[in-house]
Amino acid sequence: MERDREESVDLAQISLRPLQLSDVDDLMVWTTDEKVPKFCTWEPYSSKDQGIDFIQNKACEFLWSRAICLHDRAIGFILMTSCSATDQSREKSVELGYVLGSKYWSKGIMTYVVKQVKKVAFREFPHLERLEALVDAENVGSQRVLEKAGFHREGVLRKYLFFKGKSRDMVIFSVLSTDLNHQD
Amino acid sequence: MERDREESVDLAQISLRPLQLSDVDDLMVWTTDEKVPKFCTWEPYSSKDQGIDFIQNKACEFLWSRAICLNDSAIGFISMTSSSVTDKSRGKSVELGYVLGSKYWSKGIMTYVVKQVKKVAFREFPHLERLEALVDAENVGSQRVLEKAGFHREGVLRKYLFFKGKSRDMVIFSVLSTDLNHQD
Repeated sequence: MERDREESVDLAQISLRPLQLSDVDDLMVWTTDEKVPKFCTWEPYSSKDQGIDFIQNKACEFLWSRAICLHDRAIGFILMTSCSATDQSREKSVELGYVLGSKYWSKGIMTYVVKQVKKVAFREFPHLERLEALVDAENVGSQRVLEKAGFHREGVLRKYLFFKGKSRDMVIFSVLSTDLNHQD
Repeated sequence: MERDREESVDLAQISLRPLQLSDVDDLMVWTTDEKVPKFCTWEPYSSKDQGIDFIQNKACEFLWSRAICLNDSAIGFISMTSSSVTDKSRGKSVELGYVLGSKYWSKGIMTYVVKQVKKVAFREFPHLERLEALVDAENVGSQRVLEKAGFHREGVLRKYLFFKGKSRDMVIFSVLSTDLNHQD
């Protein structure tokens, strides 16, 4: 068994804060790792310029986002996107997205973070009614994160997305503001 | 029993053709009927100008659309919208929408039309992989149309849309190009 996997992480050392330019080297660790964007629309980064561009120009375009930090070092990223860019009738919905360095998978970190962000979402956006997430049907690990974090699995949207040359079945999850009153 | 409901329609008299300005009076019949847009984002029309505006300026914005005609008079409208306006990864999906004058409900007309349009969609758009439709969870009649027309019910998206002052649960249906090979 690899030593990395035996190292558990003290979740009290996990924090969220805005992504900064000084995080670029840490960001390059997960953005250049092929395993990480396997189910994402983006390809692994090949140049630090892409990392700088993301931090300076892309990260700010999200409705909300934070670096996921361990001892204040960025090990991943979590974001929320408004669903109403082109459709006003989606204005009470927000989509969640997240990414974590593969060294930190399977330690409960992402579930811990998503549980917190779930509460932050409805607090920061009081008119928000629905927080949703779409996960590739083959990405079982990420589906487990959402289930453990209290999201409802609503169904499988067949061939919903097409990227990297193939159509993907996407599992759609949601948590409603009204769900939160009945959860931890 | 109302005489209208006893009048069955000879489906051979149902045809599809582009909507024309000369259809405006027929269009006003279903657009001013409160029952018709009950589950739609739009309000019943109150002026013929709205009907003219729809035919001249709005109908052409759809990826594809047709008037649903009985003996060549328009009794409804069916349309397809590209799902990829802002999201390239939705480039192989198209959304179906339709409306029919209430006098013509429950006669099998919409099911007959949707079955045809399902085949037209994959023929007209050879790269299309997914044809989907979203129906209000309370709109049982429209859900029946899609089920009878061979669409798969994938799940209920809770509080997915917000319009006319309330959030709506939407049932999502789809038919894939690969489904068609196994259907009538």
